[in-house]
Amino acid sequence: MRAVQTCFLIILLNILPFAGAQEGQNSESASVDGQPQARSLEVIDPYLEMRSGPGRGYPVFFVIEEGERVEVLVRQPGWYEVRAANGRVGWVAESQIARTMQASGEPADLPSVSYGDYLNRGWQVGFSTGQFSSGGLNGADTIKANIGYRPLSWFVIEAETARYFAPETKGSYSSLNLVVEPFSKNRWSPAIIFGTGQLDVESQPELTPIELGTSDYQHYGLRLNYYVGRNFLIKAEYKTFDVEVDTVNEEMRTWYLGFNTFF
Amino acid sequence: MVFRLQYLLLISLLSGAALAQDNKDQAALEFDREFFSVGVYAGILSIQDYRSELAFGVQSSFKASEDFFLQFNYLQADASYSSFELSQGPSFAGSNRTFSHYDFLLGYNLFQAEFFGDGPESAISSLYLVAGAGETEFGGENNFTITIGTGYQFALKRRYVLSLDFRDHIFKSSLLEEDKNTHNTQVSAGISFLF
Repeated sequence: MRAVQTCFLIILLNILPFAGAQEGQNSESASVDGQPQARSLEVIDPYLEMRSGPGRGYPVFFVIEEGERVEVLVRQPGWYEVRAANGRVGWVAESQIARTMQASGEPADLPSVSYGDYLNRGWQVGFSTGQFSSGGLNGADTIKANIGYRPLSWFVIEAETARYFAPETKGSYSSLNLVVEPFSKNRWSPAIIFGTGQLDVESQPELTPIELGTSDYQHYGLRLNYYVGRNFLIKAEYKTFDVEVDTVNEEMRTWYLGFNTFF
Repeated sequence: MVFRLQYLLLISLLSGAALAQDNKDQAALEFDREFFSVGVYAGILSIQDYRSELAFGVQSSFKASEDFFLQFNYLQADASYSSFELSQGPSFAGSNRTFSHYDFLLGYNLFQAEFFGDGPESAISSLYLVAGAGETEFGGENNFTITIGTGYQFALKRRYVLSLDFRDHIFKSSLLEEDKNTHNTQVSAGISFLF
């Protein structure tokens, strides 16, 4: 069972990015001569500072002047790797290169900076950790991983899988959630979550195995997102689970703290 | 049943992804992105109350911003008999002697700098801190685990990054006494590929 979960997590972290990577390769191979074609842009700021790595801590080793052309090679969060006319390759901050021109004279439309705009039609993955704060699993620690797709800027479809650990029991739960996030363009952004899933209970430790069974549940809750950067947010979540145990509904509450990233 | 549900969710989401990616960002310029890395590592895991063992692992990282990254790790080691077990007999056997662990970590690049090796060429490097949570399976127990650590990485080549890591996996174990906090430290070296 652990192996299946681990597989799920590895798939979650590895397969999807490949889809994104291939997309990048496709746009390269669409060039006329079949060679990977970099974007050539004209610098319209007084200068661009070229650093040896994608971070403010790496030293500036070259400066590109206004009117020169640069080729954009690779994008990392907040940074672009560019090649200057003389062949030097280095990293330029996104905030600097955002004001450049395409060969056609039009302004280059680099991915925009507003959180909501960027997230629209995008994928997100993340993880959280937390604790059950009431009900039969009170005090149990829990971790969960999630993957989501945002068809609209204010709406996310999310799948999550989780594990929990209590002194006597352990187990897993998975659900499909709908998340409504009306103010996704703000830095602080609340969201409402509804979901349905299944909860699996096992005994702990393994030395005395008893299968305690599987239950269906519905859950609803509130989430508060804080967008640290365009690709990254911190989330706090408080949820109520309605678990059907022997035709009786048991209520359990959980809080989580976690992170999401976008691509 | 739960896992059947998981597979259904995954399949529907993955097929959705293929369709959705085509339309994304048509207006904006597309560049080759480098947000992910995958890697392998090997090192020594010191299992509290047992021995230090050779451990192997895989990891996958997502670069969230200039400063932050998210990382998934999976680690496995086989525990040989401790001195106590050699004299008193083994506490457990079989697959329970495999220490397996996974975690989700948040990383922060504390110091980014150039690393000068032998020649005049410099490599970009950073010292980072990580913290997060995960699960450890050992001795028939599955335990919620807090992981903290630090590491140093430098770019061997443009897309190949070498890293040296220290991690402390902390969890409550009842193998020897009730609810004892155990610290299981790991020192490892790894290589990862950026894409």
